[in-house]
Amino acid sequence: MTTKRSQPQPWLWLWGSLTSIRLTVFLLLILAVIAIVGTVVPQDQPPAQYWDRFGEGLGSLLWRSGISSIYYSPWFLGPVGLLGVNILACLINGLPQAIRRSARRFTWEMAVALPERGRFHWQGGADPRPLVAAILRRELGRPRQQTLPDKEVFFYERGRFRPLGPYLVHLSLLLILAGGLIGKFWGIEGRLMLSEGEEARAFQVSSGAEQPLDFQVRLDRFQVEFYEKGSSPKEFRSDLTFFQNGREVERHACRVNDPVTFGGFTFYQSSYGTQPTGPVRLQVSQGDRSQTMEAPMRRMVELPGGDGQIMVVRVDGNLQGFGPAVQLAYRQGPGHPQIIWVLEKHPELAEQPGPHRFTLPSLSFKWYSVFQVKRDPGVWWVYAGFILLLPGFFLAFFRPSQRWAVVLEQTPKGGWKVTLQGVSPRARDAFAARQERLLELLKKGTPS
Amino acid sequence: MMSPVLGGVMLAYLLVGLLFLAGGLWASSRLQLWARLLFWAGLGAHTMALLGRWWESYHLALVHTPGAGFSESLRLVILQAPLSNFYESLIFFAWCLPFLALVTFRHYLQGYLGTVVAILACLLLAYASLGGVDSRIKPLMPALKSNWLLIHVVTCFLGYAAFTLGFGTALLYLKQERWPRPSLPPLASMDRLIYQATIIGFLFLTLGILTGAVWAESAWGRYWSWDPKETWSLITWLVYATLLHARLVKGWQGRRIAWLAVLGFMAVLFTYFGVSFLLTGLHSYLT
Repeated sequence: MTTKRSQPQPWLWLWGSLTSIRLTVFLLLILAVIAIVGTVVPQDQPPAQYWDRFGEGLGSLLWRSGISSIYYSPWFLGPVGLLGVNILACLINGLPQAIRRSARRFTWEMAVALPERGRFHWQGGADPRPLVAAILRRELGRPRQQTLPDKEVFFYERGRFRPLGPYLVHLSLLLILAGGLIGKFWGIEGRLMLSEGEEARAFQVSSGAEQPLDFQVRLDRFQVEFYEKGSSPKEFRSDLTFFQNGREVERHACRVNDPVTFGGFTFYQSSYGTQPTGPVRLQVSQGDRSQTMEAPMRRMVELPGGDGQIMVVRVDGNLQGFGPAVQLAYRQGPGHPQIIWVLEKHPELAEQPGPHRFTLPSLSFKWYSVFQVKRDPGVWWVYAGFILLLPGFFLAFFRPSQRWAVVLEQTPKGGWKVTLQGVSPRARDAFAARQERLLELLKKGTPS
Repeated sequence: MMSPVLGGVMLAYLLVGLLFLAGGLWASSRLQLWARLLFWAGLGAHTMALLGRWWESYHLALVHTPGAGFSESLRLVILQAPLSNFYESLIFFAWCLPFLALVTFRHYLQGYLGTVVAILACLLLAYASLGGVDSRIKPLMPALKSNWLLIHVVTCFLGYAAFTLGFGTALLYLKQERWPRPSLPPLASMDRLIYQATIIGFLFLTLGILTGAVWAESAWGRYWSWDPKETWSLITWLVYATLLHARLVKGWQGRRIAWLAVLGFMAVLFTYFGVSFLLTGLHSYLT
């Protein structure tokens, strides 16, 4: 910048720094480095994780300095904020001029003042005007034409709105950042866990607080479907009913990639699970003795007969499409417990270690489903930014501005002097190629 | 196991690379022409292989949705595009390279530059054919069942491919600057090609990030969740944004732009491979 710090114009200096490309490049690279740190250091874990992984000293440093939650810490928000200010300053600095330039129509006065790119003479009496117009129309687009007492001017402009392109791009980035801020301050996000048949009037916000809803939502049914037995899941589906003042208003199916919006909140299918209703009833056989036993969740219990122990680790309402199943930890003798699955409808699939055989006569259970619930007024700002970005890119990169003029002057001998003029400030190579081609075509058109 | 057609395409690309190399070494325009024709033929076969897999994938999916009506079938066609796992992404990446090179580089695609592009495409196919990469067609998991899948993956990989072309050209630029050879395009042209490839890549990467964000918003309720893949694509975007600003505003050209293109490509590599293998996150189904 030309203004120095020592001069009595600190505002000018500050403005110069804020609009400088050096600041932009610096911030872009700083943000890249911070983002790299954010992918190397696991984010948003409990503090104990950092001690385990990085040792006590470094771990607590990471935790206390905010690097463990870097994208919400000043490390990241500071440069992002400064980048926002930088973009805004550049917009204020340059946008008015870009608008003025785009608003100014290309006139023949401007056309005749363009720098000359080539000149030749056209002998013979034929009128060159239709030919020149045709060549320009084919190579560039429909030219405008101005007849003056001593000459004829054809002129053409492309990419008139090119100067607006970069500003549209940067404006859309500001919209996206603004959308992020709006979501942060005015949006709500949380989780809702519902068992089948359960009704909720509130959901859990990430801070642990409850956010009340002015309606009720009930999970009627949850289903997980598989492509075929033993294969991958095909669909997770929660059937929801919404009530207002105790009256049923709407029913919707909520799936992954297919959220449900009601009362200003959107519900996204996020996860699911099975809850046993009551103790798990197992049939245990050893030799030709067979007995039924009840096993509570996650507690080691003795098997009838006393020569082994089991613990119910997990229940699954539909294990890979094979139907209800329980996962058992089974211990017989010293040694480590073994993990086995026992299936209600496919007893033959259970591995049976040791002398005991387990079957599952009937499992009483309920599904539960977990939803991400949110309201984010910033999303529309972000989407507006996305949409504005497209014309911005198009103008900035694919509409280089070009101005052309062909000036025809009648010489005293009855021939014509042809001058090609033009300018393209940014796409010099493409311009040079086109200039060569135009000159060649114009000359070729000359009657010999 | 890779389909024999793709095996043939891989060999064709290798041959194209050798032909371009020979054409460059002996300054033979006839060899260059043959190389280019074979490149188009290879790309055609590659396209047929992609479409064939698409067809097969669609028919496998149709088994699970009997009696699908027209709109449902159309949705299945969109969903079953062969872009849903690591193998398929490699095959598509390898397709994007010659496609973009032939369409955007045109007559500059010859000699060493043609060799680099053809060999890179060949290497990607070779990697896909390795035993460790699972090439079976699997039914689509619920998280991927979205109309955004097709456009998101296509834009991302066109972006990656354009950056790869920029990287290849940048390498040749740096080599040419050091040890000049007459068989390469002049430095100024290569500088322009790097810039052109970067613009195309930047446009597609931006579209890829945007479509990904819209998809994430409709699937998880968050347009941005700092998943490693997202973060690394942002890092890549920042590096190329730096390149574009350095060039358009500061007027950088030549060597420094070439080095930035190399740096950007390192970020691309990490976004594609590094994140999938070293970090876990929302995109882990790729591996």
